[in-house]
Amino acid sequence: MDLSVSLQGLFPFVLILLVSPFLVGLINKQKAILTGRIGAPVWQPYYDLARLSRKETIYATSASFISRIAPVISFSAILFTLLILPIGYVRPLFSFNGDIIVFAYLLGLARFFQILGAMDIGSSFEGMGAAREATFAVFAEPIFFFTLGSLAFISGHTSIYDIYHSIQLDEPSALVFIIVSSISGFILLVTECSRMPIDDPNTHLELTMIHEVMILDNSGIDLFLYQYGSYIKIMVYAVFEASFFNPFSMANEWLGFSVFIVVIFLLTTVIAWVETMIARFKMKSIPQYLLFATAIGILNLLIYTFVR
Amino acid sequence: MDHLFILGCSLILIGAVFAVLVKPIQLALRIYVGVMSAGLLFNLAFALVNLVHLPATPLLFPAFPVLSSFFRLDGLALFFLLIITSAAIPAILSTHSYLNQYLHKAAAVRAFLVSFSLVLLSTQLLVLANHAIVFLIFWELMTLMAYLGLLLEKEKPEIQKGSFIYFATTHFATFCLYIFFFLLHSQSGSWLFSDFQLTQTSGMVFYVAFFFGFVGFAIKAGFMPFHFWLPHAHSIAPTVLSAFLSAVIIKTGIYGIFRMLEFCSPLPLWIGAGILAISLFSAIFGVWYALAQHDIKKLLAYHSIENIGIIGIGIGLGCLGMTYSIQPLIWLGLGGALFHTFNHAIFKSLLFLGSGVIYSNLHTRNIELMGGIVKSAPWFVGLFLIGSVAISGLPPLNGFMSEFLIYRGFFESASIFGGYFPFFMLLMTVGLAFVGGLALACFTKINSIMFLGNERSPHLKFTVTGLDYLSLGLLAFVCLLFGIYPQIILGIISSVVAIFQSGESAQTFSTFAQWNFITGIFAAIILLISTLIIWKVSRTNQRKSAAWGCGYAGQTSRMQYTASSYADDINGIAVSVLHLKSKVKIPETIFPVTSRFHSHAGDFSEDGLVKPIYSWIIGKITSVDFLSRTDIRFYILFMLLTVLFYGGTAILWTYL
Repeated sequence: MDLSVSLQGLFPFVLILLVSPFLVGLINKQKAILTGRIGAPVWQPYYDLARLSRKETIYATSASFISRIAPVISFSAILFTLLILPIGYVRPLFSFNGDIIVFAYLLGLARFFQILGAMDIGSSFEGMGAAREATFAVFAEPIFFFTLGSLAFISGHTSIYDIYHSIQLDEPSALVFIIVSSISGFILLVTECSRMPIDDPNTHLELTMIHEVMILDNSGIDLFLYQYGSYIKIMVYAVFEASFFNPFSMANEWLGFSVFIVVIFLLTTVIAWVETMIARFKMKSIPQYLLFATAIGILNLLIYTFVR
Repeated sequence: MDHLFILGCSLILIGAVFAVLVKPIQLALRIYVGVMSAGLLFNLAFALVNLVHLPATPLLFPAFPVLSSFFRLDGLALFFLLIITSAAIPAILSTHSYLNQYLHKAAAVRAFLVSFSLVLLSTQLLVLANHAIVFLIFWELMTLMAYLGLLLEKEKPEIQKGSFIYFATTHFATFCLYIFFFLLHSQSGSWLFSDFQLTQTSGMVFYVAFFFGFVGFAIKAGFMPFHFWLPHAHSIAPTVLSAFLSAVIIKTGIYGIFRMLEFCSPLPLWIGAGILAISLFSAIFGVWYALAQHDIKKLLAYHSIENIGIIGIGIGLGCLGMTYSIQPLIWLGLGGALFHTFNHAIFKSLLFLGSGVIYSNLHTRNIELMGGIVKSAPWFVGLFLIGSVAISGLPPLNGFMSEFLIYRGFFESASIFGGYFPFFMLLMTVGLAFVGGLALACFTKINSIMFLGNERSPHLKFTVTGLDYLSLGLLAFVCLLFGIYPQIILGIISSVVAIFQSGESAQTFSTFAQWNFITGIFAAIILLISTLIIWKVSRTNQRKSAAWGCGYAGQTSRMQYTASSYADDINGIAVSVLHLKSKVKIPETIFPVTSRFHSHAGDFSEDGLVKPIYSWIIGKITSVDFLSRTDIRFYILFMLLTVLFYGGTAILWTYL
């Protein structure tokens, strides 16, 4: 791999690091508009992060070294998923056979330490959030393999970059595939990034939250790492979703680029719209909702196995 | 080179002699640990040297033809010898501090030491055996000595019960193996493994032999639904022995299945498909049962079933490859299975020995009574955490690497076979991902309930001895090393898998992934993490304060999340399948009085399968029980008739 290719991969990586808080700001702004408020400026997440990085870090008296290392490990793992994920049609910094598995398991590593960091406090609030996170993750991981994994099985590639590039627009089933994958990809995003209707990022009742309650006792630089990590994670899943529309960029680079931007923008609108219109589901019914997404994932493969 | 092995084995025997003869028990224990670890080190060196340069004549002691025909040094045997010795050394090192709590019962400790060293010896000789009878002798010896080892605290009723279940079940397994080997002998006319042949052309014998062989080895390995003995035996065994049971002894079942594959060629398709199905089943339900356990050792035992399932998935993939002689698939499947067998031996030893340290400090196995250990022993918790991350299959540790190979096997077979294969392999992939998610939930549960938060029952001090740190540290180091740089062991595995691959097209591991790339990424992750941690620690603006409790500061350890409540969300989904029972007694008065909650995790195989069969057999036996109680002459007649029956069957077998 020569230098120019790696630089090409590095550029979107840096771009995404810079842009990802903006995406959350965009969601929040649209949500505010839909509910008839003016809302915080779209740059608010940047102000939040800057404020958090300056503030002092307070550790609970019951916390151990786990609380100190957990945010770091979780953040680093998410950062490296970004290095594996192809952004648009650009080859990522690291692309190798089987990186789809590394991608999924790095997110698992991030989750493992976030849960441990939450449980380290010994408070029931964090325990509740951590238990829910663990439960829903069990159902979220199959969705990932049913969307991107089924495409991997069809194309015979195991590198995410190659998998996305194997989607051909000239097959009619590809369009169906894009639609179906977008639906289950959206549900995956909602689950993994703790948005409605799985989790309510704005609620202030600890008993009803998942992600927010897990970071209840984190502050300062730890909270910075968690929040920034969650912003990046949303961006990762947005890119994950937008890359299904990759075929357009093969026809024309600029068309592909604009489709990419439009899809990500539409995604923020849909998230904002869903969060305005729908209340959070009952905790008991969330597994069913996730299994629904899994079932659509199976559809993907059935389409490909039997239509072709 | 063979002298090294002889020396190692004799040192292991000498260790047993010292354990009996040296009068002060403390001194005997020390000498035992020293001599045994030296002997095991010799055997480890022997295995490593021979694995790196596989001997051209795979015979032990070529100078003595009488002995050499009984043992053989092929790649598979040596690889399992490597697994045994590398799991046994840390177990021996931990023996010293673990047995300290039993020193008042010197005789029991001596008996345990002797049986433990015989277990170690017979397990090593068993995998090297090339003669079916020798194999069975060492198999019996291993089983019986492990049984004697279980009886360290034989006065406790739960230990009597658990060890009996182990004894009965493994003997049923041995019985199956007798039939298996006799049938093989009748087919090939030889007792040597290297001559055994079992082909489908032999008709019914093939199916019968395969059935008995698979059942025998699967009981030992703990595939579902043959796993029921495992949680009982592992939870009552002295922890150093349960580490060895879980890390090595159940792997002898895997070794047997590997040997079986060698005998049965060409393999029909249904073998691979069947092994895949039973393994996925074991993996998913093993980990799901584990999630419901409160007993740390029972929980780890169920995780062994899960990992045996993952190993089995690899074997199943390899079988598919062997059926259609597709070399890359054989490599990925069998290589992944072998690598996972090794990895599981390492991290499961780490976790079991860690649980032994906890037991000798807190004297309980119930994780609901632990908590807050991280404050008194942070380094110990760190080591245990490494084992937990490894067993959850997360990067950058070794558990991930072997699962990675197996995942690659799924993708490879789908793209080679086409047709309906992508569909089934996708289901396997999703199944394995589901197992990974459940394992993550389970290991976050035990780590957080056991170590984090506040102490649930007060413990004054938590001591971890230097030898414990050494043995746990060695294991954690291996987890890290083979996670970041698996190339070392993958080369060895390539030469082992070559046995199952036909001829010149043998694959090397480097074709399957850019390993150096992965090494680079994982090293970079660790570098980034450590840099960030150092940077964060050096920041000055931090202080301590009470945890957030909605303004309530008087939180006690009783308010913490428990293991049951943590796992309740997931287990609630599959209550009926898993035989989970819970009793809640909530008082219906206005003012709060005492309420009770009790939960119990059953086992579908034990409750639904084994117990009914067992009680049916017991019922039949008691119907002829009057013979032994009435008149001695009837009883003798009964015995004679039994002998006549067996003898008659044998004669008919020979002449028909």
